[in-house]
Amino acid sequence: MRFTLLGLLLFALPAIAQETVSFQNDREGQSFYYNANKINRALRDFKGEEIVEIYQNSIKGVDSSKVCAYDINKSMSDALIKKSPRFDEYEGALLFLRHWNQLDDVSLKILLDARKVSKTTIEAKDPQNLRKPDRTKLPDMLKVVATFKEKFLKNACYDDAYRNMVGEIRKISDTTEAQLEGLFVEASNKKVITADVYNMLERARAGEVSANFLTLKSYHQKLKSLRLHKPLRDATERSEFVTQKVSKLKVSHRIKLMEQYSDLQIMMMADVVKRLRTRLEAKKVTITIFGEEEEIETITLEPMERFRLAIKLLRKEMKLLSLNTYFNGRSPDYMDLITASYETSLIPAVELKELGGLQEIWNPTKTFWEKASVWIRTFSSVATIAIPAPYGFIPALVLVVIEATVGKGADTQPDDTVLF
Amino acid sequence: MKTSILLFIGLFSFQAFAKDVTMEALVRSNNGYPENENVVLTNIVSEDSFDGEFFKIVKGKSEDAVKFTDDKHVTFRAATTYYHLMKARSYFIEKVKSEYVSNIPKMTIRIEHTNQFSELGHFAHDNLEPQHNNALTIPAGKGFESRGVKPWNMEIWFRPSKRVNIKDLRVNNMAQQEFQVLLGQFRDQIHMQSLNRFLSNVIVAYTKEQQAGAPGPFSQESLIRTVGSSLILEAGYLLMDPLTKALSRKWYWLDTALIPEIIYHEYAHAALSDHLVLSHSTAIIEGMADFFAGQIADSPKLATKIKKYNTYNGKNAKRKQEYMIQFEMQDYANTDFVFGMLWEMKNIVGKDKGLDFMYELRKKVTTNSGIRNELVEGILSTCDDMCDMPFNDKLRILKALNLKGL
Repeated sequence: MRFTLLGLLLFALPAIAQETVSFQNDREGQSFYYNANKINRALRDFKGEEIVEIYQNSIKGVDSSKVCAYDINKSMSDALIKKSPRFDEYEGALLFLRHWNQLDDVSLKILLDARKVSKTTIEAKDPQNLRKPDRTKLPDMLKVVATFKEKFLKNACYDDAYRNMVGEIRKISDTTEAQLEGLFVEASNKKVITADVYNMLERARAGEVSANFLTLKSYHQKLKSLRLHKPLRDATERSEFVTQKVSKLKVSHRIKLMEQYSDLQIMMMADVVKRLRTRLEAKKVTITIFGEEEEIETITLEPMERFRLAIKLLRKEMKLLSLNTYFNGRSPDYMDLITASYETSLIPAVELKELGGLQEIWNPTKTFWEKASVWIRTFSSVATIAIPAPYGFIPALVLVVIEATVGKGADTQPDDTVLF
Repeated sequence: MKTSILLFIGLFSFQAFAKDVTMEALVRSNNGYPENENVVLTNIVSEDSFDGEFFKIVKGKSEDAVKFTDDKHVTFRAATTYYHLMKARSYFIEKVKSEYVSNIPKMTIRIEHTNQFSELGHFAHDNLEPQHNNALTIPAGKGFESRGVKPWNMEIWFRPSKRVNIKDLRVNNMAQQEFQVLLGQFRDQIHMQSLNRFLSNVIVAYTKEQQAGAPGPFSQESLIRTVGSSLILEAGYLLMDPLTKALSRKWYWLDTALIPEIIYHEYAHAALSDHLVLSHSTAIIEGMADFFAGQIADSPKLATKIKKYNTYNGKNAKRKQEYMIQFEMQDYANTDFVFGMLWEMKNIVGKDKGLDFMYELRKKVTTNSGIRNELVEGILSTCDDMCDMPFNDKLRILKALNLKGL
C-alpha cells in the first residue's frame, strides 16, 4: 500500500512541476507603461490574437521553475520575425499583451528590462581606463568566468546565471562593478572566454542585472505564494492606484512592492493595514485604568480621538515592522503597506485612494508658499538687522505675515482638551 | 354622514377661498443684493389681512392678522416674512420631503414683538426688558387656563430693530482678537529687531576700528534711532484700542423680519423641532438651522449685503476657522463654525445626497449635543446609513474634521 502511495506521489511530482505558467493581470488597472503609439505600430503587422497566440506558444509547456524572461523574449521575437520579417516593434507587442491583460506590469517590466539588456550594444573598451580586479585573486576569478556557459548558464536563466557567477566571484574577492568590467575584458583578452560570452557578460553588467533580484521565475513564485495564502476575493477587481507612479522612482507602486519585498513581508505589511482599517471602523474605544485588582476608571474616546489613535497605532506598527527580523531594519513606506493590503485582497480597490491619503495627516504635502516661506523667513531675519531705519519694519512685517499665514498650523499649541 | 358632508363642504370652500395676493416685499436679487419687489403671497385665506393657510402674521401680542391696509412699515415686514416663510415651507416639503413639516399646524408669526418668552405665560410681563434686534422660534405651550393664558402652537417672533451702542453689547469679535494677536507679534518682532541692531552695533564698535566721526552705539543719534522705532510702535500698539473704537461703527441694529436668511433660519428651527427641541440656543441647533437657511437661500453666506437693515456681519460657511473648545459654550452658539462644518460635510457626501444626509442627521443629535463628540458621532453614524461608500466617505469626513482642528 505504501508503495502505491509513493508511486502516486512520484507520478504526481512531474505534473506539479509542469504547471502552466501565467502572468495574466489580475490586479492592475491601466498599465503604467501604456503607450498607444507603440501598440498601434505593433498591430500594423499583426492582429492582436496573433500576438497573443505567439506569446501563449512561447510559455506553453515551460516549467515554472525554469521560466526565463530572456528565453520568452527570444522565442517570441523569433516567431514574430518569422511571420513578418519587417517587424521591428517588439516592445509594442509586449505592451499590447499587457493591454490585453496577458501580462501585468511587473512581468512586463521584467520582459522589457531583459529585452533592453539583450539589445545593449557593447563598445570597444580602452584598457587604460579600466579598473583592474584584485591581481592576487585574478587567476581564481578567471577560472569562475571561464565556466559561465558550462556551469552557470547550463541549468539557469541568463540573469540568474550571471548573478550566480558574480556571487562566486565576490566570494573570492570583493569586486566592484567597475572591476567586473575590467575582469571581463581581461578574460576576453586572455581568450578565457569567447567574444560571444564576453558580450553576454558585459551586457548583463551594463544592464545591472546583478542588482535586480526580481526575475520572472522569482516573481512567479512570489505571486503563487501570495495567491495561495491570501486568495483573491474578487478576481475581476482592478486598481488604477497601484499602477500610479511612485514619487522619485520610475516604477509603479505595485512594481516597487514586488521588486523590493518578499511574499512574507508583503503579507506582514498587509496585516498592519488590516488592523488600521478595523480600528478606523471601531464604534467605541475605551481606556481602562486598573488598581490593584479592580477597575478604577474607564475613559471613552471621542470620535476624533479614536481616529487619531488609529493613526498613532499605525505609525507605531510601521516602526515596529522595521524592527522585525524579516525586515532587517528596513522601514516600509506607507504606500507600500497600502499596495500590499490590496495585493493580498485585504483592502478593496475603491478604498485605496482614501486610505493612501491618510499619510497627509503625518506627512502633509507642502504648498509652494510653505516651501518658499522657509527661505523668506531666513532672509527676512537677516534683513531685520541689515536694512537700516526707517525701512527695518518691512522684514519684521513680512515675518509676522508669514507666521500668521503659513506657519499658523505648524505652530499651534497642542490642545489639552483631547487625549490624542 | 352629515359630518362628512359638512367637512367636505368646509374643505372645499376653504380651498376655494385660499387666494394669491400681490404685495411689496424685500427679496434677494440674482446677485444677492436686497431689493423691493412685488411678490405673490400664496394661500392667503383672508380678504383683508396676512392670514394664510399655514401662517398668520400678527403684530406684537395681538392675535389678529395684520391688515393689508395697515401702516406701510408693518405691512412691508409682514409681506416679507410671509413670502419667505412660504418659500422655506415649500423647500422642506418639496425638496426635503419632510412629513413633519407638512403636518405642522398653522403658525402664528409675530413681528415687531418685544416681549420676552415665558414657558408658562406665553408672553413674559411687559415690565421685563423689551427685546430688539433678534428673532426666535418658540415651542408650543399648553397655556395656563386658570390665568387666562390659552394654549399656543409653535410661533416665530421677529423683534423690532433698535439702534444700540456697540459698547453695550457682548460681542465675540474674533476677527479683531486675531488682529490684536498679529499686532502683538509685530510689536515683539520690532522690539527684538531693535535689540539685535543695538547689540550688533556694540559688537562692531568693540571689535572693529571705527571711522573718525562715526557715531558710537551709545551716542545720542544711535540710541534715538534704535529706541525710536520701538517707541513709535509701542505707542501705536497702546493707541490701537481707542483708535479702533473711534474709527469703527458705533451703532448696531438688526431688522430680523427683513432679512430673508434669518426668516429661513427661524423656520428651519421649526422644521427640525421634531428632534431638535426648541429649549435653548446651542451650537448644534443654530448650526443645523443655519445649514438649512443656507440651502434655502442657495448661498453659504447668511444675512450679508443688507446694511440698510443690518449692521451685523452675517455668517459665512466658507470662512476658514479652526475648532476652539469655546464653540461648545452657549455664548458662542451663534458663530458660524458648525454651519461651515456641515456645509463641508454636505460637499463630501455629495451635493445630491447632502440635503437628505443633513436632515437625517437631526435624528442622531439633540439640542444639547456637543460638537466634538455627539455631532461628529452623529455625522459618522448617518454616513453609515446613507453614504454610498461609508468607509471611504467616513475617512474623508474624518480627514476634513481633523484639518478643522477637531
